[in-house]
Amino acid sequence: MPDPVTLVFHEGTLRLTGISPAAIRRVFSEAEQAAWFRDDREDSFRGDAFRYTELAPPLQERLSPPADDHVFPSNAGQHASDRIAFGDASPKRLRDDQRRACDAWVDAGRRGVIVMPTGTGKTVVALELIRQAACSTLIVVPIRDLMYQWHARLLEETGVDAGIIGDGVHRVSPISVTTYDSAAIHMPRLGNRFRMIVFDEVHHLPGPWRSEAARMSAAPWRLGLTATPSSDPSKWGEVESLVGPVVYRDTIGQARGKTLAEYRVRRVPVPLTASERRRYRELSEIVRGFVAERRRDDPSFRWDQIFTLATEDAAARRCLRASRLKKRIEERASGKLRVLEDLFRLHAGQSVLVFVGSNAMAREVSIRFLVPCLLSHCGKRERADLLNGFADGTYPVLVANRVLDEGVDLPTVKVAIVLGGTASGRQAIQRLGRVLRKGSGREATLYEVVTDQTGEVGRSRTRRRNEAYRR
Amino acid sequence: MLTSAQSIVRYEFRDGTVFPDRLTRAADRHYLRAARSMLSVYRRGGGETRQSLHRRVDAIVDRLGDCPPRRAAAFCKLLDDRSSYRTARGQASSLRRRVFRSAAKLHPVVESPTSMFETTRDAARTHVAKSIGKSWPEIEAELFADVIELQTLLSFDAEDTFGPAELLAAYNVGQTQAALYRATRMTVWAREDLKTIARHAKLAGLMHRITRHETTDPQAMTDPHPGVAGRVATYRFELDGPASAIRHTWRYGVRFATLLPMLLACRGWRLMADVLGPGPHGKRDRTYRLELSSEDGLRGPHQRPDDYDSELERQLVDGWEQATPPGWTMTRESELLFRDQSVLTPDFVLRHDDRPRDPVYVELVGFWTPEYLQEKGAKLRQFRDDRWVIVVPPKARDQIPKGLAILELKSKFDPAELARLAAEQLDRPPR
Repeated sequence: MPDPVTLVFHEGTLRLTGISPAAIRRVFSEAEQAAWFRDDREDSFRGDAFRYTELAPPLQERLSPPADDHVFPSNAGQHASDRIAFGDASPKRLRDDQRRACDAWVDAGRRGVIVMPTGTGKTVVALELIRQAACSTLIVVPIRDLMYQWHARLLEETGVDAGIIGDGVHRVSPISVTTYDSAAIHMPRLGNRFRMIVFDEVHHLPGPWRSEAARMSAAPWRLGLTATPSSDPSKWGEVESLVGPVVYRDTIGQARGKTLAEYRVRRVPVPLTASERRRYRELSEIVRGFVAERRRDDPSFRWDQIFTLATEDAAARRCLRASRLKKRIEERASGKLRVLEDLFRLHAGQSVLVFVGSNAMAREVSIRFLVPCLLSHCGKRERADLLNGFADGTYPVLVANRVLDEGVDLPTVKVAIVLGGTASGRQAIQRLGRVLRKGSGREATLYEVVTDQTGEVGRSRTRRRNEAYRR
Repeated sequence: MLTSAQSIVRYEFRDGTVFPDRLTRAADRHYLRAARSMLSVYRRGGGETRQSLHRRVDAIVDRLGDCPPRRAAAFCKLLDDRSSYRTARGQASSLRRRVFRSAAKLHPVVESPTSMFETTRDAARTHVAKSIGKSWPEIEAELFADVIELQTLLSFDAEDTFGPAELLAAYNVGQTQAALYRATRMTVWAREDLKTIARHAKLAGLMHRITRHETTDPQAMTDPHPGVAGRVATYRFELDGPASAIRHTWRYGVRFATLLPMLLACRGWRLMADVLGPGPHGKRDRTYRLELSSEDGLRGPHQRPDDYDSELERQLVDGWEQATPPGWTMTRESELLFRDQSVLTPDFVLRHDDRPRDPVYVELVGFWTPEYLQEKGAKLRQFRDDRWVIVVPPKARDQIPKGLAILELKSKFDPAELARLAAEQLDRPPR
């Protein structure tokens, strides 16, 4: 008797055995056939795990006897059920827009992306959808802080002590939280353990490595959340194929004034000191000279080629170093700390969040003003202490590098100061999100402290062109 | 291992090859001197922060005039990998908590006091130092001692034999490994140490596609193989992972990299890896070829695998050499049997001069925990269509699949008896 046709999950792929190429042609449509690849290494066919819901049904419906589907352990009866009981956590009251977002995703077959601005409760929407689905769920987030924050929210709202996969912890539970990087690493072993997968800040998903977090997961129910869908069509196409299309969209423009606080942006230019300026000019000259000379030889020369050149060419190395020192002067101009002091005086008694461009700068601000900084090396307990202490006013100021860029909840901040850092539309929006949280009255303010007469002013202009900054 | 951030490779766009950075003793003699200085920085660097050690290394390689930043970073990584640092986990974080809580009510700490805000930096520091019970310089040194670049060196753990040449060798291996991180497939041709290669490929979590080639051309591979006169079996291992059947992916690059040091300990192999590198549109989508062989002089950290797995194996070889039955040749681990993803390297291969194309495999079953015997039995069952003689100690006989010839080792190994059993196998019709 021939071996039965069997579908299993194998290291992030679907493996189909016991079936002939002729049967593949008979059972699957042409589009589906293209998803199966002959694997002569062990006489099987292989397909991407994320296409499970598309590829599994024909094996049940058009084969007699139907194929054995062992993709999820519970399919094989190894677990009685993977329904999750959420205790008696009562459903949260949702706003109308949140309710509409939930319905749109369910109506779309529990597959797709919800676009809502930062600060409008994307997490609330996701929690409601997880509660409704009541099945094994993996939540994938960009950074570790968010992982712990999700863990705390789940505990608070559903009573579930979720598993943590990442930051040196590997505790897999039916409801678990992980980071994109950990998910990409571990998905070959996790991809058939969760029926639902949630990608928070889903614009981080595209790319050959991170996308494996979605590609190698067989979860039928897939939810993406973002405030800023990528404008690059090829990147967004990847999100659509791996998670689903946008099923609900609310932009920052619609939300402003309704769910977000009013805000304004103040730019504070800081002149360089005479010696800083002199040094800055020298360094600029080195960079300019090198690039000009290169372009004479090769008009198509691009700046990023310098990294390759630097392995062989001493002048390229000198130029690269000059460019780094320039950035350092911009970022750490001594005048910035004076401005910071003035802003701290101005907003004494208010919680102030300071964003900086490097860990070294964060520590410098921290030591100079004796205020805490939240950096990537902070452990779970310290993070919690800092975030809670900042929220309840114990700490007047919190200095952060990019770790706080996205989604970390700091509900009552009204004043934020951006010191250094690079400009990009998305970063600007996400950072702005921190001060836009709806609190009691009063307009929120975002200060941008940039060095004058340097590249930083240009970057600030780029940032301000973004929709979030338009007055 | 190095990280991608320290990787230096040169892509040859014309012929599509890729070369990991390599420092040779001949052309890069000045690096040997630099390596000696770097080692002494680390050997004497106890108590220094990682940042300061790295700066010293930077200063050393800066003087060479031809050391790119990534190469310098790679040296630091290799030295750090052999070091223990004080992580100060917990202590620094609890000190921060105390310092910032104590300073919170003084905020804002200003440079020049005004009537409203009078806490100057110095006053704030004095206040904090007093409330903690440590001097400010002590506090400042400890406050971020858990930050990676500020951790202090406890000890440099490399053996005394790890000298400048070893550091350069580790660098060269590290760069080749790092180039493999972006490999989508690796093909290894091998004539020796087949068992080691197959086993470690499996341990690295790789899947294989194996083919066997015979050649009479002694130049086809280096190191003429002893045994079968004039005929040399070469095995080709095409290695990648499950998802490679669907698309080009460098997901298994790290696995190739972990296999490399073991391969470097083996003899008689060459490899070719497909590495993704820059394409015409600036994306990493063009395939480049990385080639390497056991003759390239790359020195790995491991010794060549032991000649003999067991005392029993040695006895068998000695016995055979003392009384070789006429017409028979025996070679050790010279063939590989494979079916799907299962591989078995018979301990010995017997061939009779009259029928050189019909091997008889000899497997020693010398070590007998029940699990081992069960696994061995299952393996042998997969390959039972071949001709076998199984050499077993008296008690293990029952676990051997039925139908296989068994030579029970009672006291002394008798080569003639083995040859007789092998001849019987040759006489039976092929399955």
